[in-house]
Amino acid sequence: MHGTPLDGRARSGHSSGLETPAMGTMDDRRGRYAAYTARLVDTVVTQPGHTPPELRRAVLERAFGPHPLSKPETSSPLSGTERGTGGEDHTGERERGRTGDDLLAAYVDKVARHAYKVTDEDVGQLQHTGHSDDALFEVTISAALGAALGRLERGLAALRGESSPPVPLSANAERGN
Amino acid sequence: MRLRAVEHRHRLPERLKLALIRVVSGRRVPDVVKTLLYRPEFFGRAMCDWTQAVMRGPSAWSVGERELFAAFTSRLNQCVF
Repeated sequence: MHGTPLDGRARSGHSSGLETPAMGTMDDRRGRYAAYTARLVDTVVTQPGHTPPELRRAVLERAFGPHPLSKPETSSPLSGTERGTGGEDHTGERERGRTGDDLLAAYVDKVARHAYKVTDEDVGQLQHTGHSDDALFEVTISAALGAALGRLERGLAALRGESSPPVPLSANAERGN
Repeated sequence: MRLRAVEHRHRLPERLKLALIRVVSGRRVPDVVKTLLYRPEFFGRAMCDWTQAVMRGPSAWSVGERELFAAFTSRLNQCVF
C-alpha cells in the first residue's frame, strides 16, 4: 500500500492534485475505475459548497483511516482533534466544554466507523451548533466517501498480499464498542 | 431522513424525477435515491457514474455476483440494501 493515499500531492489546491497516491494505486492495478473514483473525489472535495473545501478534505482524510507516514495539515479544521486511529470512541467523551469541532469530529468518526449508530440527537446537536443541512450533507458525504475509499484501498492491498495498517473500521474493532 | 433539506428541498428537475419514481413504483422513494438526487453535481452524478461502471460495466463478475457482493457488504455494515 502506498504511504499517503488522499494526502501528499493534493497540497497544491489544484484539482488535478487530487489524483493522489490512493488513486495512483488503483491506477496501477485497477485502472478501469480510477478515473471514476478520481472524479468522485474531485467533485466532493473541490467544488464550491456550504463548507470550505479544506474541511471536506480533512473530513475525507480522517474518515479514510490511519496513515502512519502522513500527518494532517495543521490548517485543517479537524486536525486539532485526535484522529480516528484506533478503537477509541469519542461518544460521551469531554461532554463538557466540547467545541463544535469536537462534535463534528465525533460525528465524522461515527459515520466512518459505524454509520448505523448515528442518532437523531447527533444530527440535532450539530444543527444546534449552527451547521446547516447543506453543510451537514457535505460533511456526511465526505466522511462516507473517505471511509469507503479507505476500505477499498485496504481491501485491494490485501488482495495484492500487501501488509496493511491496523484497520479500526473493521467489524472486529466495532464489536468492541 | 434526518436532514430535512435532503428530504424535501430538491430542485425542480430532481423533484420531478422523485415524483415519477414515486408514481411508477407506488412506494416511498428510498433515502439513498433522495441523497443521490440532492444537489447531484456535488455527489450523486459522479457516484452514479461510478456505480454504473463498477456494477454494470465490463467485468469478470456477473451482474448478479456483483449485486451479491454489495448486499453482503451492506449486511456487514448493518445497512439495508
